Amino acid sequence: MTDIVETASVVAVPKAQEPRIVEMTRFGASGSRTLAISILTGLLIIVAWWTAARLAVVPRLFLPTPQDVLTQFRLIFNDGYAGASLGEHISASLFRILTAAAIAITAAIPIGLLMGLSRWAKGILDVPIEFYWPLPPLAYLPLMIIWLGIGETSKVTLLVLAMFAPICLSAQAGVRSLPIERVNAARSLGASRLQLFRDIVFPTALPEILTGIRIAFGVGWSTLVAAELIASNRGIGYMIMSASHFLATDVVFVGILIIAACAFVFGLAVRLLEALLVPWKGRL
Amino acid sequence: MLKIERASVYFKTDQGRIVHALDQVSLDIPEKGFVVALGASGCGKSTLLNAIAGFLPLSEGAITLNGRSVSAPGSDRGVVFQKDTLFPWKNVTDNVALGLKFAGVSKAERTRRCEALLDLVGLSDFARAFPYELSGGMRQRVGIARALAADPDTLLMDEPFGALDSMTREQMQELLVTVWKQTGKRVFFITHSVEEALFLGTQVIVMSPRPGRIVARYNLDFVQRFAETGDARAIKTSSDFNDLREDIRTLLHGGQDARSAAE
Repeated sequence: MTDIVETASVVAVPKAQEPRIVEMTRFGASGSRTLAISILTGLLIIVAWWTAARLAVVPRLFLPTPQDVLTQFRLIFNDGYAGASLGEHISASLFRILTAAAIAITAAIPIGLLMGLSRWAKGILDVPIEFYWPLPPLAYLPLMIIWLGIGETSKVTLLVLAMFAPICLSAQAGVRSLPIERVNAARSLGASRLQLFRDIVFPTALPEILTGIRIAFGVGWSTLVAAELIASNRGIGYMIMSASHFLATDVVFVGILIIAACAFVFGLAVRLLEALLVPWKGRL
Repeated sequence: MLKIERASVYFKTDQGRIVHALDQVSLDIPEKGFVVALGASGCGKSTLLNAIAGFLPLSEGAITLNGRSVSAPGSDRGVVFQKDTLFPWKNVTDNVALGLKFAGVSKAERTRRCEALLDLVGLSDFARAFPYELSGGMRQRVGIARALAADPDTLLMDEPFGALDSMTREQMQELLVTVWKQTGKRVFFITHSVEEALFLGTQVIVMSPRPGRIVARYNLDFVQRFAETGDARAIKTSSDFNDLREDIRTLLHGGQDARSAAE
């Protein structure tokens, strides 16, 4: 037999104050806000820098104060440096990296997807890509200069090669993450091969491709500055190089900060693009 | 008529062992028929569905749909999968409309048909939602609407409610009966739930593994009774339903006991 233990409803007690809102205890840093901590850390680093320079822990020649750098930035902004205005230096660098990025992205996405799909494409292209991409780009920069001259072509080609590999490899990984059920679903809806490629394979690989593009920009900036240090008469890297010849550390600092700012903006742009294009990432 | 004639499938595992997944299975599914394949995992029911869908070629035998041989996937056979396979970058409407888009149907016509289908599965308020915003049951409703969009001859359903909680599952079964009655589709449905099979099928085939084959067939009228009375509980608690459920359980478990005794 069944005993009915309790059927009465719980009597609601009127609340005197706001209820205490609780949530599950978290583990790890994901999801929590770090912006305030990051800003504070940034300020602390500047204060530490300022103090070290003021107390002359390191000679002024080697470590300028933040004010020195700011003054120098204004001077370069107004008068230019090493035969070109600041705008010309920055736009020379941006032109190289953006041209290279456009070419690398346009070529690497279809080639990477194809390598993920076709035995022949993978078999043929794996050999040259696996051979060249672990090489440091500066190792083959001399060859680029000998073959393509000292002008823009050699630098842009170097950057394209450096940026191509991460995008291409991530597109391949994206195809590998494609579940067979998704392909079958599309085929039973009557998708042709082209429709399957454009409407199913490409969007599936898109999150991985965007990650690849972020990595490519990281590689791109380091390669760009290194290439400009060696063979150029314009660009932020060149500015840093020529300043170092005169021990102008404040100019070197200006150059480094400009590169950091550019790289930061690029990273932010790709992340915004991610939020816009693949809002489902990690959720399904 | 969907005709499956002496279909056999042999696989090779990665270790090189040969698996006899389907053995000489013959089955006819008439128009407006609702055939449910029931069996433990590994009995070949998914293999059979994959072959009908055209995802898997047969080793022996033949499958024909209205006289035409089945050899590749096509929009005349809509498939609803166990794992929901909605496209996460498309909202509900665009998911449902994808098959029509592939077929080159105009945007206005696509929207019109999607509205009717979402109405049918009770999701009119979620036309603009994205899959990750929906519950499991809602996603499967989108899956059903998507499979129906291209107006297929046959609906193939591979344990579509297997991942749902039992309450949602019963709601979905009743919804499916409504959809089936309204659209008059031929349905081939896979499950390992005896109760689900008895409630839904006009015909239930019980399958057994190693090799996968049909060991019993039942023609049933429970679904017809539900369509007429609308009272699922009365049917599921009726004595003939319960008796048959116990019979089939004995058949399924008895098969297992006999096999483990032999091994």
